[in-house]
Amino acid sequence: MTDNKRHFENPDVSHAGPHHKSEEHFREQHLMLDPLPRGQMNEMVMDSMHTTSWKFWVVFVTLSAIVAWGLFYSWGKMILEGLGIAGVNRPSYWGIFLVNTVFWIGISHAGTFISAILRVFKAEFRRPFTRAAELMTTFGLVQAGFSIFMHMGRVWLAYWLMPYPNERQLWPNFHSPLSWDLLAITTYLLSSTMYLFLPLIPDLAMARDKSTGWRKTLYKILALGFRGTEGEWTHLRNAMNIFAFAIIPVMFSVHTIVSWDFAAATRPGWSSTIFGPYFVVGALHSGMGAVIMVLAVVRGTMKNMKYFIRPEHFEAIGKLMLIISMTWAYFFFNDYMVQWYGGDKWTKQLLHYHEAGPLGWMWFAMLVVNVAIPWAVLWNKKWRSTPWIVFIVGLLINVGMWFERYIIIPISLSINRMPFTWRLYQPGIEIPLGIGTLAFFILLYMAASRLIPLIPVWEVQEGQMAHSLKKFGRETVVTVSELE
Amino acid sequence: MTVEKSLLAVFADLDPAADAIEHLRTMGVHDDCMNVISGVPVTEAMLGRPNQRTNVPRLALGGAILGFFAGAFLAFVSPSMYEIQVGSQAFVAGPPSVVVLFELTMLGMLLSTFLGVFLDSYFPSYRPMKYVTEVSDGKIAILVECPHADEKKLTEALKKLGAESVQPTEAQHL
Repeated sequence: MTDNKRHFENPDVSHAGPHHKSEEHFREQHLMLDPLPRGQMNEMVMDSMHTTSWKFWVVFVTLSAIVAWGLFYSWGKMILEGLGIAGVNRPSYWGIFLVNTVFWIGISHAGTFISAILRVFKAEFRRPFTRAAELMTTFGLVQAGFSIFMHMGRVWLAYWLMPYPNERQLWPNFHSPLSWDLLAITTYLLSSTMYLFLPLIPDLAMARDKSTGWRKTLYKILALGFRGTEGEWTHLRNAMNIFAFAIIPVMFSVHTIVSWDFAAATRPGWSSTIFGPYFVVGALHSGMGAVIMVLAVVRGTMKNMKYFIRPEHFEAIGKLMLIISMTWAYFFFNDYMVQWYGGDKWTKQLLHYHEAGPLGWMWFAMLVVNVAIPWAVLWNKKWRSTPWIVFIVGLLINVGMWFERYIIIPISLSINRMPFTWRLYQPGIEIPLGIGTLAFFILLYMAASRLIPLIPVWEVQEGQMAHSLKKFGRETVVTVSELE
Repeated sequence: MTVEKSLLAVFADLDPAADAIEHLRTMGVHDDCMNVISGVPVTEAMLGRPNQRTNVPRLALGGAILGFFAGAFLAFVSPSMYEIQVGSQAFVAGPPSVVVLFELTMLGMLLSTFLGVFLDSYFPSYRPMKYVTEVSDGKIAILVECPHADEKKLTEALKKLGAESVQPTEAQHL
């Protein structure tokens, strides 16, 4: 096990013909076929956590300053002066706060998609980056929560949403879409945090065994006394299987319910039966774009990560992004087509406003970066395997998906059935607050990357144990054994 | 009264560990007196060990049922605590109730699954335990509880079967 070497059924693969791929080629291409001793992988991961350059601290301090200004100072100012200093006003009572809420919930979908759906389907390429994606889910939901609290204005009354009666025994109305939001987002936040923690326990135990000082104390507490006994693994495996299946419908429900905040209203542009799946696909679109950005940054900036995160992973995620982009385009057109064909006067007015209004450039930019660019780039295997290229595509998709939410929320609210109220939304303090949440997300991620193992080493080793090469005639192929 | 002794044998690979377990069994060591500690999940089938019992799925089901009833309370009972009848609208609407029932059922199930791991594994546990840190580096350890008189015999047998080290072990802080 320490050696962790693969047993190739035919080690003589290099003599198999001109088109034959050598064992070395497979090792370079696939992490699962390039095993290192477990102790060495542990050291690499621990080393990546302990190594921080001056650049890391410069970015960290800068982001901390942005968070202090954007999140805490600006929010404090809004609490003191009231929601009036935000740009939300008649008829656009929902502005960037809710754009950001939907955006961050969308980002949070990637972790579950990668960790749960790919686990259920036993997609082996997921192994080294499940945790990196799961962290995005938890930290993204934290930002979504902040954005909702900002939107509330009187945030100190947030507890009114909690399911308990007031003095007159009047309970919150759980038949209202906004109460569903509370239930769905709380369920998703708790579930995804638990799902992040469970597979982390063995790696925390590894970190405990490899650390000294305050880190050892921290990991000792967090590892909960895990040793890796048969019983502990059995309980953990069972729980992870239950989570992998059960969290998928929870993930779908969250963004569907968010979409119902809009679709349940009889407004032009919002009243759509397709909003549920359209929002879910949009969430996956931005989430996958964010995952690939995070992986490119982690690979490029953290020590030893080039061993764990390889072009094969960008290639696989790139394919998923391409499929999701196509699906998003399908849903977008479906939603557009039915509304356009319906011929409702106000809806047609709104669609025209999207394309030819003062922010029409945003509508066209959304289509270019969400559809045209991913399709033009991601079809090419070489391009989608190149980290900096997919980083740019992921960044553009996220900009495009933020535009999409901006078009759906404040821009669509500008046009309604009462033309005398029409007014274009002008954001105010929402901008520093939005920047604050973005900076806080990155800051949390940077801190986490130095405190918890970003690579699930035991999952990587398990995958490497299951992979081998097998010869069919003159062709050598990768095979995977089912170890569970 | 026999004095019990604990031996911790460390193996570099899976196959000798599985062979050792089989051999220990032929030497009269019962499965209940052995435990395998590893850094990756090694299934019972790989080691030829009896299936481990887990209550996690049962607890998950129990949590789902509790969650369902909590959802039913919020959806059906809480509105009747202070009745507000709205003309032409159902007092308790069906489709929105499904949302509440679904979310709380799933929350109950996932919370109890998580707690199930804690209960079944006795987490958190910061008491001294029998353990070797080499397990983190990929080694497989077999923890054998045996009568004091058998210690020497078992140590020799485990070494012959490929154990890198076999040592009497005491519980220690991790």
